[in-house]
Amino acid sequence: MTWIMAALLVVVVFAGIGITKWMNSTATENANENWRDIAQAEIANSMVMLEEPDLSEPQADYYEGRIAIAEHRLANDIPSFEYASMQQQVIDTHMMMSLVTLLAVIMAGGIVASEFSQGTIKMLLTRPVKRWKILTSKYITVLLFAVVLTVILLISTALAGLLFFGISDGTLLVWNGSEVSETSFWLEALKLAALKFSSVWMISTFAFMLSTVFRSSSLAIGLSIFLMFTGIQAVFLLQNYEIVKYYLFTHTDLTQFFTGNFMISDITIQMSIVVLAVYFLVFMAISYWTFGRRDITA
Amino acid sequence: MAEQAIVQIKNLSKTIGKKKIIKNLSLDLHKGEITGFLGPNGAGKTTTIRMMVGLMRPTEGEVWIDGQSVQADFEGSIQKVGVIVENPEMYKYMSGYKNLLHFSRMHKGISKERIDEVVKQVGMQNRINEKVASYSLGMRQRLGLAQALLHDPKFLILDEPTNGLDPAGIREFRIYLQKIAKENGVAIFVSSHLLSEIELLCDRIAIIQNGELIDIKNVNDLQKSRYYIQAEPLELAGEVLTGIGFPAVLHDKGYLIDSGAEHIPGAINLLVGAGVRIFAVQPYRETLESQFLEMTGGGEIAQTHTK
Repeated sequence: MTWIMAALLVVVVFAGIGITKWMNSTATENANENWRDIAQAEIANSMVMLEEPDLSEPQADYYEGRIAIAEHRLANDIPSFEYASMQQQVIDTHMMMSLVTLLAVIMAGGIVASEFSQGTIKMLLTRPVKRWKILTSKYITVLLFAVVLTVILLISTALAGLLFFGISDGTLLVWNGSEVSETSFWLEALKLAALKFSSVWMISTFAFMLSTVFRSSSLAIGLSIFLMFTGIQAVFLLQNYEIVKYYLFTHTDLTQFFTGNFMISDITIQMSIVVLAVYFLVFMAISYWTFGRRDITA
Repeated sequence: MAEQAIVQIKNLSKTIGKKKIIKNLSLDLHKGEITGFLGPNGAGKTTTIRMMVGLMRPTEGEVWIDGQSVQADFEGSIQKVGVIVENPEMYKYMSGYKNLLHFSRMHKGISKERIDEVVKQVGMQNRINEKVASYSLGMRQRLGLAQALLHDPKFLILDEPTNGLDPAGIREFRIYLQKIAKENGVAIFVSSHLLSEIELLCDRIAIIQNGELIDIKNVNDLQKSRYYIQAEPLELAGEVLTGIGFPAVLHDKGYLIDSGAEHIPGAINLLVGAGVRIFAVQPYRETLESQFLEMTGGGEIAQTHTK
């Protein structure tokens, strides 16, 4: 079962990058624009964005960074990665992380509920191991599974990128708020994947809680996947209300602070981490409390 | 049974909703003793067993296993207990051996040799590497017994253990349980509907009805020597028997007397001497079933047989 999921992930990654390659080759020439033009466009674009009246501080920082990087490139003649390169694909891996979420939710939703439906829960809970330890071992399994899937995603993206696109001789530049520096694309990819992992983590924890409370894997998996897709839409519905700042899905994706795609304008990464931590503690408390106290009649 | 009890159930009660399912149940189980747990459907056998192994939380009362409370020190007490609750459910997609390995990891210090030993004891060595999905109910019961015995428990709780075993399997199972009770001093607590099976297996029988323990009997007491004497005239026979110190109970067309075989010829001589005509003298044994029906009010047992 877990092997099938991992294999599925690899297949989807290869297929996805293969399709990208094919679309690139059928598209018009501007797919392979000169990096200088791209940098120029980046500056012009960011300038426009900075003119926006209701820009928040994190957003302003982000666009200033973009300008600084682009100017540095032009001044020092440092090309960026082309889109159709192994490096850029690896950096963009975080955009494929919803696949990991999907598979991790299937695991998280089933891992407790299936013990109840198989009746094995009574065999498990009559061992000299406290219930919270059993639940913790299951939770760690879910997280490890998600981490392994993320690593598989990164590696298979790199392999597929190598196979379909090859290596670009660009350089990755980052802005730390005061100066521009070089960095490795692997480091950047890992950073973004780790930030995106917050979303995998929260949604699987949610599925794990449902699995523990309702003892039904279909309910846990179904509801979690439904929320995963609709939860983010709800941010846009709620964006004019104060409550959106405390809503889980406003904060699940931490990459928003580094890729500029902010869900709402005035949030900071610190605030997101606090909100996520509170949700996490609530989910865990509910899971442990119900699992620890429940009378097993299965 | 002067020995210190291995298991002490103290004033156990369970209320679910407004209904009191178990009412103030107390029971001691001793080393090397096999205790049967009998009761009609819905009497609270499984609930009691689930509370004894920590699957359910008692509303009141405590269960002590070898000096440790299941409620206060779960890990310390449960490591001495082997359990089969109803049908032993295993991971069907794994082999029997993998199942045992999985459970053994949750105990301290169970070697591979110990697993092999237990597999051999329950007679599963030929099919232990097959997936549990391919096992018959009887084989799952054997595997269930194996997982309960892995950690060499001092106390074994079995809920309906012979369910699905064939007659040879039941016999083997019984002999095996009696052996580990006698040789290893394991206390065994068995719930079952099979009255005749309980009678053969157990040293002692606890009977529960509507959540209350209504009787605890030693099987030896059930089998005490009794004779039935059919005689006429009844009144005279009664007088003679009471006269010589046998409390005679009227039964059918004669009397039941509690007495060893050695006193019977003398009693008959006296009866004949007094002019009582005797038609039959025979040892009398009441079956557990008839006693059980008598105690629990009958009726309900008809359902339990078909379960």
